[in-house]
Amino acid sequence: MTHRLTLERLLIAAAVAACSGSNQTTAGTDSTGTAKATGAANSVAGTRIAAPRTTPAGEWQMPAGDYSSSRFSDLSQITAANAANLRASWTFSTGVLRGHEGQPLVVNNTMYLVTPYPNVSYAIDLTQAGQPLKWKFRPENAQAAVGQACCDVVNRGAAYADGRIFYNLLDGHTVAVDANTGKQLWRTKMADLTRGETMTMAPIVVKGKVLVGSSGGEMGVRGWIAAIDAKTGKEIWRGYNTGSDRDVKVGPRFKAFYASDNGKDLGLTSWPGETWKQGGGAVWGWLSYDPELNLVYYGTSNPGPWNEGVRKGDNKWSCAIMARDADTGELRWAFQVTPHDMWDYDTVNENILVDLPLGGTTRKTLVHFDRNGFGYTIDRATGEVLVAQPFVQMNWSTGVDLKTGRPNVVPEKMTAEGKNVKDICPSLEGGKNQQPAAFSPRTGLFYVPTNNLCMDFEVRPVTYIPGTPYIGANAPEKKGPGGHGGEFIAWDATTGKKVWGIEEPFPVWGGALATAGGVVFYGTLDGWFKAVDASSGKELWKFKVGSGVVGNPISYLGPDGKQYIAVYSGIGGDMGLLIAGDVAANLPYDVRERGSTLPDLGRWTSWGGMLFVFSL
Amino acid sequence: MRQSHVVVCSVAILAAFAAAQSQIGRAVPNASVTDFVRFVAHPDNIPVGLPSRDYSLPLVNPYEGNAQALKTGARLYVAYNCIDCHGADGSGAMGPSFADSRWRFGGTPAEVFESIYQGRPDGMPTWGGRIANDQIWMLVTYVRSLSAGKNVATENFAGATVERTGH
Repeated sequence: MTHRLTLERLLIAAAVAACSGSNQTTAGTDSTGTAKATGAANSVAGTRIAAPRTTPAGEWQMPAGDYSSSRFSDLSQITAANAANLRASWTFSTGVLRGHEGQPLVVNNTMYLVTPYPNVSYAIDLTQAGQPLKWKFRPENAQAAVGQACCDVVNRGAAYADGRIFYNLLDGHTVAVDANTGKQLWRTKMADLTRGETMTMAPIVVKGKVLVGSSGGEMGVRGWIAAIDAKTGKEIWRGYNTGSDRDVKVGPRFKAFYASDNGKDLGLTSWPGETWKQGGGAVWGWLSYDPELNLVYYGTSNPGPWNEGVRKGDNKWSCAIMARDADTGELRWAFQVTPHDMWDYDTVNENILVDLPLGGTTRKTLVHFDRNGFGYTIDRATGEVLVAQPFVQMNWSTGVDLKTGRPNVVPEKMTAEGKNVKDICPSLEGGKNQQPAAFSPRTGLFYVPTNNLCMDFEVRPVTYIPGTPYIGANAPEKKGPGGHGGEFIAWDATTGKKVWGIEEPFPVWGGALATAGGVVFYGTLDGWFKAVDASSGKELWKFKVGSGVVGNPISYLGPDGKQYIAVYSGIGGDMGLLIAGDVAANLPYDVRERGSTLPDLGRWTSWGGMLFVFSL
Repeated sequence: MRQSHVVVCSVAILAAFAAAQSQIGRAVPNASVTDFVRFVAHPDNIPVGLPSRDYSLPLVNPYEGNAQALKTGARLYVAYNCIDCHGADGSGAMGPSFADSRWRFGGTPAEVFESIYQGRPDGMPTWGGRIANDQIWMLVTYVRSLSAGKNVATENFAGATVERTGH
């Protein structure tokens, strides 16, 4: 980069920083870079992101961009008309070769990255040519955690608030780091590694509380969510997902919409004996928050073990959507999406909070694309299911009964010890997994990365031994009908119908980004990063990155006033490690044959760990 | 309880221990569920400093080439949940593959015994002193058999594929 260009960038940066009331930097943002209300003229009538950003539109301060988990950016320089001119602007190697799920943050012209284990974090100065580091922070992080993580040693990102970066370490600690200096401010042990608990999820910060949860649904953990004081690192409340009403924080303010979700001590009584103590219900996915209702939403993981015979009953609150009071942690409502799961259909996928026109009125909804293959549109104040339709090919259920909220299960697809049930769709990876969807108020559509996988499921006996897997099943997977591994779809949550879809050869394991420019971005396992038209799904541009994409794109405004798109490249997660065979075998002492599910994935990509940044 | 080919498996940990130990004899004296839980509850699953080499047995596999011990080792591989980390055919899952003829900490019987006995830093629990040394040797016998004669070819995109356990 030339000296002159550097100078120009600095001048522009200074100008942007100095402006406080006049410069229009880009459509959709005002002079200070603050987002205009997204419910305005450009939105579909009756459609609105529940809690539009109060932070600058040119920044990305929390994992999903906003509390509503919309992954919508109000930046609009990149449009369907000019996206073909996108080019790689700069890149950065994280130095780690593991699954790069999650996304960077951008705050105050600084980009923050968190790597997979060992969970190093970087602060990158965007105002200088060559993007030098402001700091690098390498936390203390027990190596034993590597062997306790079921599905690669991923990290789904950090959250920013009040000059601090908060994130989780695989070994069960949450840390706060000074955003300016990289100095560790506190480090709190939240999870018990010796019982198989790790931490991979991305926190959100609500009113001075850092909300975090545990991973370990395959390790016989007892799932929880907790709130930590952002200033001191002290735990404020913790709500378990199994156990007594006291532990689950069910009190007089709790009211579920469906009869089977109401009752005393359901976290105990829906389990035989003390199986709830190893019953899973971990919180390894995404959190959302509605400031108006003051509710935090999250989903819980599968029950443990996969062998359903040892845990007859509904197994609450595994596979459930939970709504808790953000201040106290009290459970306000819960909806068990898949009672007595026997296919590993976690409910941890993101809950997107939007207002949608339904039945002639505007409803406050929560939209959730579950592993079980149903796309749910739910009243986020009460938990009532308004729409539930399959968004992928499925054969385990014939539909959701809206009177009870429960799926009608096909008896032949029920798994049990002594049986090897063939051809269950979707597979245990779900119709969608952790890869988060995005929503655009401009189109009223949800953009959903999906899987098209099926499985056989053979159950075997299993013994609980703390710190070892608690599974009890073999479940080989294969591509579903049609032969494609996944599809990127646009979804109308008011009708429960797919609007368009782009079939992909492999499961779409990276998340989506929707932008006000009418362009939607996503990456693929075979390493394509794509821009498509939000209305039609027409491919506008693509770029082959170094390694498969399992991360989530973000958009930000650079100090030069330009819109940038950033995404991790680095195959891994469940797809990379457990299915892609030799793709994962970067270590000379651990060479694996290719799996049968995606046998040729290794032709198209390899292990990596890079940030790619694009602009016009 | 239904009969299973996996004799030592049981829902209850006590039953698993009793079954395993009655099968094989030579149980660890005073090994109880409480002890077991305490063992796994060590802060990092690995000892601070390695345990002293109180193996009670010389580091020679007494079951080398013993077909019965191999079969029992295969059952223990399931009973102690080795299977879910290292794969049903030893081809790797959360933990490394045994099928590739490559051993990070050495593949001699004595070295594999040490890996099981004292654990390894990437999350391999310490089993020494908590299951009988005899059982560890039977696991050594079985685990080593998984890689016998194999050398996994990589990335030729023409060879056979293997079924894997997904999570």
